[in-house]
Amino acid sequence: MKTVALDITSTGWVTTFQDLGRRDTERRGVPTGGAADQHSAAVANLLVGNPRGAALIENLGGELAFVPDADVLLAVTGAPARVTVAGSPADGWSPLVVPAGHEVRVRGDMDQGTRTYLAVNGTPRTKTLLGSAAPDARMGFGQAVTRGSRVLLETEFRGFRRRLFEPPLFRLPVPVPRFDAGPWDIDVVAGHGVQAIAGIREVIEEATYVVTPRSNHVGLRLDGPVLHPDTDTEIVSHGVPIGALQIPHADELIVLGRYRSLTAGYPIVGVASRASLPLLGQAGPGRRLRFRWIDREASLRRFARREAEVRALGYAAAEAFGALGFMEPLRHMN
Amino acid sequence: MTTAQYGAITVEPFGDSAVMVTIPHADQAIRRAGIVAFRDRFLAHRPHGVLDVVSGLESLLIEFDPMQTALEHVEYAARLVARWAPSPTDGPARRRAVRTFAIPVVFDDDSGPDMASVAEELGMAPADVVEAIAESTFTIALLGAAMAPMMDGLKVPGPVRRRAEPRTDVAPGAIMIAGTNAIIQPFPGPTGWRVVGRTPHTIVDISRPDPVSFGTGDIVRFVPVTRDEACALDAGFLLPTEEAV
Repeated sequence: MKTVALDITSTGWVTTFQDLGRRDTERRGVPTGGAADQHSAAVANLLVGNPRGAALIENLGGELAFVPDADVLLAVTGAPARVTVAGSPADGWSPLVVPAGHEVRVRGDMDQGTRTYLAVNGTPRTKTLLGSAAPDARMGFGQAVTRGSRVLLETEFRGFRRRLFEPPLFRLPVPVPRFDAGPWDIDVVAGHGVQAIAGIREVIEEATYVVTPRSNHVGLRLDGPVLHPDTDTEIVSHGVPIGALQIPHADELIVLGRYRSLTAGYPIVGVASRASLPLLGQAGPGRRLRFRWIDREASLRRFARREAEVRALGYAAAEAFGALGFMEPLRHMN
Repeated sequence: MTTAQYGAITVEPFGDSAVMVTIPHADQAIRRAGIVAFRDRFLAHRPHGVLDVVSGLESLLIEFDPMQTALEHVEYAARLVARWAPSPTDGPARRRAVRTFAIPVVFDDDSGPDMASVAEELGMAPADVVEAIAESTFTIALLGAAMAPMMDGLKVPGPVRRRAEPRTDVAPGAIMIAGTNAIIQPFPGPTGWRVVGRTPHTIVDISRPDPVSFGTGDIVRFVPVTRDEACALDAGFLLPTEEAV
């Protein structure tokens, strides 16, 4: 193990430490939180030989840039981004060996998706709250990575001897999601709000919704047609899954995110499929969304396929890194 | 904690990897006490694949990993727990000891801007409301947003209404009431509850490995103090006064 420093030379609009979120804290009033796009975060970690839930950096908007003080193994995933190493273009969604002193720049294209993820082989030194590096603004746990700061990490990566223009060292089965230019299709499992509001199923199915700038980590607020229940029956505050589609009193649709709290009595018309959540985590203002009703079994089949792809990558990466002599990934595969 | 009497539970799917449990009973008090008792039992006998639960006032959202278990298993387990599982308070060593808290509270106009309107609503003098709060024994029913302790047991002549317009920035330590419940604001933020006082203690400290010293089932009493007494206390992180088995 050795300690490596990343000197942060530029940060985006919001740049934080992140991971897949807290476990078992919702029963104590703390939302799981964690990476908005869990798929990209998990894949970034697997691509550098980390456990999928390791701490990494999430960047929203602007440009993230840094200079490592030793050779590092890193990967950039998430929304389509321009990645350069010392000015030369480099690939996203792939392990990259960056030599000491070379500046890495990551500029996401906000029109295609909001968040990029940077994982570096090793364990970053960062604070945790209830066992997780994920920020929780409500509890004053900001976890911001700031320009001019140094991110320290413990790594066993010692570099590879590679010459320029050699073929890529890794050819891994990477499940790269599509970030289409047109509307994104989100699968939704219907909830009891569908029965309570006559005609809402058809309205949602036929419309295209637009993400508004009032959206945040608690929820995406969408412009588009909605209907309200006829009755004023009070719904007692209750817990809601991530991805729940709720209709507040105003004419908008809200898709709740990973930092949601109890719902304050608004009807829930459905819950986005687990397999659609990473895409929702990438939706920014102006993004058009279409919702497709899906039954629970079909929704879970899609998620299982996605999960199998991620696992396959995990095994392939562990084997590749094992062959190169670092054992860490093999240890946490089981 | 008293064991609630309830027979059946309702289990409804909620999305592709959660279910919502409620207790179908006409009496709100039984629904609320019943769901607390169910949650304690369910967590004590937690089935494989269950990731977390989210407590509502009258419901429990159970979130599971669909790669490790299936809705049918979770539903079956929930029904088994509801019907057969002993309350965790019945057996020895099942549950940690109940802790007792005596929390000093300043009940002046600055600390409790809603006290006057609450008193008027209840048809009491503000001093009598303070006395009623001080004489109430509260039980922590659940930890609300940001680990805020949500308590049952306010003994006043009628339920207290929420504010029509929520306050946007309530200070940490604010003691707030609504219905027959009380809650303490852990961090600055908005609330629709009525703010009646403030404790000088830190309720949630995120620099500690366990940011709170309390849990569900713990007993709380509020002890009125003057502003000067509160300052003299040099109150830090809230700790229990005693630990009864």
